Amino acid sequence: MKAERVRLVVVLAVFVLAVVALLWPSPDQNYKGLAKLFQRVRLGLDIRGGARLEYRVDVEPGVENPSQVVDDVWTVLRNRLDSAGYTEATLRKSFRENHSFIVVEIPAATDTTSAEKLLGSIGVMYFGQVLDESAIDPSTDPRLMDLARIKRAQWLPSRDGKVWYLVRQEIMLVKDLKLVSPRIVTASPVPETRVGRFGYKVTFELSSKDAEVFKRITQQLVVPESAVGTAPSREKRLAIVLDDVVQFAGYVISVIPDGKAEITGNFSLEEAQQLAAILRSGALPARLEKVSAGWVAPLLGSDIVRTSLMAGVIGLILVMIYMVIFYGVQGVVADIALVYNTILLFGVLAATRSILTLPGIAGILFTIGTTVDGNIIIAERIKEELKAGKSVKAAIMAGFDRSFFTLFDANLTTIIAGLVLYYFGTGTVKGFATTLIIGVIGSFFVNMVLSRLLTDAFHSLIRIPKAAERGVES
Amino acid sequence: MKKINVVNKRYLWLGVAAFFVALSLVFIFTRGFNFGVEFIGGSEILVRTEGNMIEQDLRQALIEISNDFAGARVTRVRSAGDPAGVVKFSVTVPKTFGVDEKQKIVNELEKKLTVKGFKAEVVSFNETGGTAAEEIRRLTWRAILITLVAILAYITLRFNFVFGVGAIAALVHDVLVTLGFFSMFRYEINVPAVAALLTLIGYSLNNTIVVYDRVRENMKKFKGKDIPTLIDESINQVLTRTLNTSLTTFIVVFVLLLFAGNTIKPFAFGLSVGVIVGTYSSLFVAVPLVLRWIKYR
Repeated sequence: MKAERVRLVVVLAVFVLAVVALLWPSPDQNYKGLAKLFQRVRLGLDIRGGARLEYRVDVEPGVENPSQVVDDVWTVLRNRLDSAGYTEATLRKSFRENHSFIVVEIPAATDTTSAEKLLGSIGVMYFGQVLDESAIDPSTDPRLMDLARIKRAQWLPSRDGKVWYLVRQEIMLVKDLKLVSPRIVTASPVPETRVGRFGYKVTFELSSKDAEVFKRITQQLVVPESAVGTAPSREKRLAIVLDDVVQFAGYVISVIPDGKAEITGNFSLEEAQQLAAILRSGALPARLEKVSAGWVAPLLGSDIVRTSLMAGVIGLILVMIYMVIFYGVQGVVADIALVYNTILLFGVLAATRSILTLPGIAGILFTIGTTVDGNIIIAERIKEELKAGKSVKAAIMAGFDRSFFTLFDANLTTIIAGLVLYYFGTGTVKGFATTLIIGVIGSFFVNMVLSRLLTDAFHSLIRIPKAAERGVES
Repeated sequence: MKKINVVNKRYLWLGVAAFFVALSLVFIFTRGFNFGVEFIGGSEILVRTEGNMIEQDLRQALIEISNDFAGARVTRVRSAGDPAGVVKFSVTVPKTFGVDEKQKIVNELEKKLTVKGFKAEVVSFNETGGTAAEEIRRLTWRAILITLVAILAYITLRFNFVFGVGAIAALVHDVLVTLGFFSMFRYEINVPAVAALLTLIGYSLNNTIVVYDRVRENMKKFKGKDIPTLIDESINQVLTRTLNTSLTTFIVVFVLLLFAGNTIKPFAFGLSVGVIVGTYSSLFVAVPLVLRWIKYR
């Protein structure tokens, strides 16, 4: 009697906890109706739609503290994403097979292109001097290539790839007058206020160390505003180069002594934000290799959820009917256990903020199998004990006791498979492993505690089989 | 329920299993697998259309955009529960594209299909690099092997080594036959399909352990009894349970197979086949195969 009361308290407490976890207020409540129950469960990108990018961080061999480099890359990427407006994006570090990976997930993004462009700018950043420009691809013209050699400079494309600039790192051939990988403290888009200009400009500030070099550079390159566009001034433009691409090329119209500068160009807000982001994030301290990229439209996600949910509900109902027909009262017990375990599973997902992915839904459906299996094993065992001539109460007790280790071994092996899957799996498969492990542990709990409680409560309804065979002895 | 004779007819049962393994191997080696982009590296584009577009229309539009699509695989994916009139097409090519190329492909494809009078939308574009695909392949094999070894160790610990060998043999049977079915029906092997294989390992083992557990219990209870008879009894005792469990699990995964969309169809297929072969192997392979070496301790 005492054990029964303990079980009742535990079952109710766990249930209340699961429901509380599900219904706890969350900032993003946008579901209606029945779906409100599940609003705390975080959905994977494959369900809600969004873009996912995975990069491998190639740290140069011999680097003293590789994990610091990965952290720096992470910070740089985070800054780039935030300043380009992807504040909802999540960035995760992961590690396998001696390689570090960074996974970027951007919910609701409809393609990866702009994010890829932003994150993919990986090379060194420097301020250089523009000597010339060309509208045709210089590699097709030997004269232009010769020019580059003579001037000790390099042809680099602009961001849109339509113009090529002849850029030299060393300003006016002054030895060591160059600014490579500058530390930029702040950079932000600001609305234009001057008459005759519109849109946005970008202001930035260099660290005090680099400000000194920048001052000397601007002294060399400065052209009076009236001379802008004339032939001599065209050789004195300043270029911001990142990843061997000219991000911006423009005139210096006054010497900048304090490292506080602005770039004007009638930018749109988006352009200004991107340029600011590039300035602020600077160059990445390691090479990034894109491993995979993809995006799923929210439309597709909702189709999938609808079909999977329908499959789940239909499967569940069929199983429930089957159980009641085949096992009577114990089938009802199994059905209650099934619903209970499903709520429990969602509760754990909500409480741990685990992400529910598509394979995760499959994992939930599979959990239905394990939960039912446990109840079937117990029910069959009780039937056997009854056939052997035991009283209902004794049969129930023996049935549960003897099933314990069967279920323990059977479930533990499933968990072993789940753990391997979790450890080696990537992305969505991890989601499957998560629901599988939670579900199997849950089903063991439900089988041993809730089913026992209910079976005890309904024991008077259990029918005793007519033929009392005697198992192996017969 | 009528008793089935497992031990005396074990060569028949094992023969059936051997036949399916051989058949699967023939398919695997002659037909190979239909690997998803995660495993070969490349791109998969999913196009959702409303109306009566057919594969030809899409293929033509793709080739007009780039010759890379000449050898593309275009398959129709229609799942129950989709809004009426909605058809999805999956396009796979073993090639990845640059950032701008991707944008161009999406824009041009949607434009071209609109011009042809179809309401079409690219709903997903996934790519996996070649080295990443290699890594996924390597990790997958490793995951399967580690699972098998971990399980062998666990069974040796909880039961004994002979049972462990029997269980692994049954699992290898399950994995091979399921893979054979994947090859036979040209179902795509993607990451969820591998998840299905690993789940199947867990599931089939679950069944096998229930059988072993009963054998172990009866061996303690009826020490000295003729082992073949004891095993026959044990298998028959758990038969109803095993069939009922398998049937209910099969109902769930089969309904999923009927309804599920493109991504999890291979998963549902793997488990639907897996539940059947897993049940078979647990009853007719796992114990009969190692019968000769089972001894009282």
